[in-house]
Order: sequence, then structure tokens, then C-alpha cells
Amino acid sequence: MRVLGISAHYHDAAAALLIDGELVAAIQQERLSRIKNDPSLPITAARACLAHAGIEAASLDRVVFYEQPFDKLERVLVNLLRHVPRTWRQFPRALASQLGGKIYVLDQLAEAFDLPRDKVSCFDHHRCHAASSLFVSPFDEAAVLVVDGVGEHSSTTIWHGRGSSLRPVERIEFPHSLGLLYAGLTSYLGFAVNEGEYKVMGLAAWGRDRYRDRFAKLVRLSDDGSYELGLEYFAHMSDAELGFGPALERLLGPRRPPDLAWDLASERDRHYADIAASLQAILEDALLGLARRALAQTGARNLCLAGGVALNSVANARLLRESGCQRVFVQPAAGDAGGALGAAILGALELGDPRPAALDSAALGLAVDVARAHAIARELGLSIRRVQDPIETTAELLSAGQIVAQVRGRFEWGPRALGQRSILARADARATRDRINRLIKRRELFRPFAPAVLASRCADYFAAEPDDMTPFMTTVAPIRPERADRLGAVTHQDGSARVQTVTPTSSPALHEVLARLAADGRDPVVLNTSLNGPGEPIVAGAEDAIAFWLRHGVDAMIIEDLLIERSA
Amino acid sequence: MSRRRASLASRLWARARTTGRLILHFLHPARFVLAPLLIVVLLAGVLLWLTGGLAYVAPFVYALF
Repeated sequence: MRVLGISAHYHDAAAALLIDGELVAAIQQERLSRIKNDPSLPITAARACLAHAGIEAASLDRVVFYEQPFDKLERVLVNLLRHVPRTWRQFPRALASQLGGKIYVLDQLAEAFDLPRDKVSCFDHHRCHAASSLFVSPFDEAAVLVVDGVGEHSSTTIWHGRGSSLRPVERIEFPHSLGLLYAGLTSYLGFAVNEGEYKVMGLAAWGRDRYRDRFAKLVRLSDDGSYELGLEYFAHMSDAELGFGPALERLLGPRRPPDLAWDLASERDRHYADIAASLQAILEDALLGLARRALAQTGARNLCLAGGVALNSVANARLLRESGCQRVFVQPAAGDAGGALGAAILGALELGDPRPAALDSAALGLAVDVARAHAIARELGLSIRRVQDPIETTAELLSAGQIVAQVRGRFEWGPRALGQRSILARADARATRDRINRLIKRRELFRPFAPAVLASRCADYFAAEPDDMTPFMTTVAPIRPERADRLGAVTHQDGSARVQTVTPTSSPALHEVLARLAADGRDPVVLNTSLNGPGEPIVAGAEDAIAFWLRHGVDAMIIEDLLIERSA
Repeated sequence: MSRRRASLASRLWARARTTGRLILHFLHPARFVLAPLLIVVLLAGVLLWLTGGLAYVAPFVYALF
């Protein structure tokens, strides 16, 4: 059967294609539209999936949307009623949002693919999230914990997965939501919601969780693993712009103005770092309670995580350490984009297809058209040449301390660049990190860069073995103190790193480079950060790669066997 | 890939069927209380459709809308 899954309308729209139970392609709309976190209906991404598979839309057996539109509308209406009069101003906007397309999304999909309407269906948002993790995990049986902002009604759900079945166990409903707690504090700290949550996680390592008592008012944790928000501090029930209310500022002090340069030596910003640390600590405690509850209720020994909160790699590492489970799996697009994958799998299972194989690589996008890149580069008069051995060339450039953009293979699924669309550099020098920041990323200096290491050598550098999360960079590991001087560019403030372990199947192009470094007697570890500038989606095709080259100051770019260098 | 566009009539028919399904969804006894609001919503929807609608994006739009 040919089944297309779709997520859209809120953030990170995506499409995923399964053929006879095999995951053929999965693409986020932002990579092709070049609009960061593009929420629009991902028709371009869907068509790219179909083109990659060489099939026509007319041959699709099912298109599956990742949410129940009517249930969502019901929750919206109930919430608007419940919070009148605070919501009256939002009412026309809510109507416009829902009636402008959301409740007709299944019709729109049928029209876009010229399919009969009965070939388009939908599943519950959290069920799609759960499916996106369990059914591509290496586990036959697992407890599945889904934690996000909100789906239709639920913000946290526990599932018991076994084989091809997924049974709901427990749920916590909106407006209580760990995702919205984190989003509200992200907004309070002056970062953009749906984008700045990574920054809060990075900032947390610079602070002390000395506001735990105050955060206990924001989220009340119960002994049974459940939680409740102190709703008087939040505004996500009635305000679309700001997730928190005046009570939060009375509790924690005034919000941090956005776009103010960070100075963690200042008392002001140390205060905000302590708030981030306290938030991260209470989030981890809440997740730990939920994970233990999930394991106890299901009797399973392995845990699958999904939902936007599952992208919190620091929390994921703690769950593996302390929840009592044996293994934890988080697929790379754990946020809303992943809903498309879950929807496709649920549709395929319903039609009788087998469960997909365990995910061993995130390279599910499109390959780069190197001939096109060559033609554009030549037309622009760039310094280019074809190289016999791109692996050797990349390894040599890295060894010489250069910052190399690598564009090889199919681009990644999810927010992490895992070697196919990456900026690579030596991992040892902090100066390299600063240069990448100054020339390209222009990130806040408190944010870490991540290392990629040959999986077989992981334990030489990190106090951890490769696990089910490390190939996708969804966890962190402590750096061995004796290796700290060789990992200066990728060591976070707390001595940890969001490590990626690399195997020939998980990321072939990057594996070859690391193996060559090892063969040359060098450390098989590199700094690996995504191939994009601030506010840009990660590079996808040839045009994006050349545009990146023109805008940003990497020393060299490898597009398959095409080397672009700076002219002398 | 077929580029044939659905006709306006067939699109309107599809929307009408979806609206019918929506009304059936809200006829469930547990949702009766929302029926008046649904009528307002649908009337407003017609107005929005006639006036070209509104576009609105905000950080917490997914929580509220």
C-alpha cells in the first residue's frame, strides 16, 4: 500500500511516504519552501516524497492527516467559552484560523492530490506522535510517553505499545501542559517560542536551580507522576501572543526583553540563567515521574518518547539514567513534523501493511543535484573543482583547521543535521567554535555546539556507550575529563555534549570522514552543526547550498565530489 | 502528478459535506452545549469566506486556535 502522512497548520509541516510498510521518504516543508518552521499545508514536500519514490499521487491508497480537525475545533470552542471575557478578542481570530481552512483540511488534501475524499483520513494527534516513535523504534514492546504543547485535547499521554498495536493508558489534558510551561518560560526569557526552547535548554547549564520553590507554584507534581500547572501564572488559554501572565512576573521578576545581548557575567543575566536552570530541573522531575508511571502502568521495560518536549536531549539522558527503563528511543523529528510519520504508519497498519523496520538513519530527504550545483557555481565564477576522493579532501581540510560545509547524500529528517547537511570543524579548539559563531551562526555564546564521533570510539571520549538515541543526537553524554582538552569546541558549560554516534548506516558520508580521520591517527570526532545561518532552514538542494556559500564564511564546501574553495 | 484542479462546484460540495459532518459531530449529547456557538461559528465562517478571511500567526496560536 502507498500511504502519505501529513502534518501541518501549526508549526513544522511535513510529509512522510510509506510503500508496503517501508519508510521511503520524509520531508519537512521548510526545507523546500525555505520558510523556517513553515506551517503551511506541505504539498511541495509531499510531491517531493512522491517524486523520490517515482509514483503518482493518483496511485496513493491513503492520505492521512495527523490531527482530528473536529475534535480540535471542539477544544478551541470550549476553551474560548471557559475563559470569556478574556478570550473575546481572540474569537474572530480563532474563527478565521479554524474556518479559514483547518476544519476543511481533509477536503484540501483530497483536492491537492486529486483523490477521492474517502481516501483521506485522520488520526488523533497524540496517537500519531506515539506511532511515530514506537513503530520505528527497535522495540517490540514499550511504554510510550508523548509530551507536547497540546494536540486536540491532550497535552500528555501514556500508551502501551506492542507489535503493531498502540493502547492508550492515561492522559493529561489542556490547559495543563509541560510543553506550554516550557514555551511560556521561553517567551518570558525573551526567546521566540517554537524556536528558542533549545536556547533555554542550553542556558540552563549556566545557572543554578535556586528557584525550585517558586517553580513548585508554577507546576505541581503529584506522587502518582501526574502534574498540574498553576494556571494563574499562564496565559496560553486566552492570549496567542504571550504564554504567561502578570502573576508570573510578580513571582519571578520582570520578563527579559528580547534582542538584548546576553552577558552571563552580569547579575541580571545570571538571574535569568537560574530561572532557565530551575525550569529545566522541574521539567526533568515531571518527565521522570511520568516515565516511571508509564513503565509501571504498562509493565514495559523500554520507553519511547515523542512530542516536542522529547527534543529536550538533557531530559532524555536523565530519563535513561533514572527512570528505571532499560532503553529509551526518540526518533529525530519528535516534534510536530514527526506527526506526519506517525499518521502514515497508522494509515498503513490500518490497510494491513506490516510495521516499518526500525529507523537506522535520518537521511530520508532528497539527494543533492551535484550537476546543478556545478552549473550554478561555474556560472557565478566560484572557485570549483571535482575531487577524486571527497572523503580524503574533507578529512585533510578538517585536519588543517578549516570549517567545511558538507552536502552529501539525502538531507535529514528532523531539526538536527547529522552529516548530510552539516558544517564540520575540528572539535578541539574553542577558537573554532567562536569563529563559526562569528562568521555563520551568530548564536548566543552560551549555546553549545555538538560533536559527532565514530560510534566504535564513543567510549574513548564520552562516559557513555552508543545507545538508541545517540545516532539522532537526541540525548547528551558527559565528556571524559581526560579528553576535555581535545573536545574544547563541543564541551558545554556542565561538561556534557549532545553527542552523535556515527555508523556506516546512520550517516554514511560522515562515517567515511570520521573513519579516515581515525585511519590517519587523528581523533575521529568533529564539531557538527547544521548547515544554515540564523533564521534559515537547513540547506536542502543545490541552490540552497550555493546560496549558503555566498552568504556565509565557511572555508570550503563539499557537494558530493564538488569542492568549492575561497579564492586567494 | 495530476494537476487537474477540482471544480468550484465539487469543492463547494466537499465543504458542504464536511460542514454536515461537523454538525453531526456536535449533535452528540455531550456537545449540545456547544451548538449555539457552532451556529455562530458557521455564520461567521460564511462572512469570513465572503470577505476573504483573516490571516493571523502568533506564537501560542496552536494552544488557542
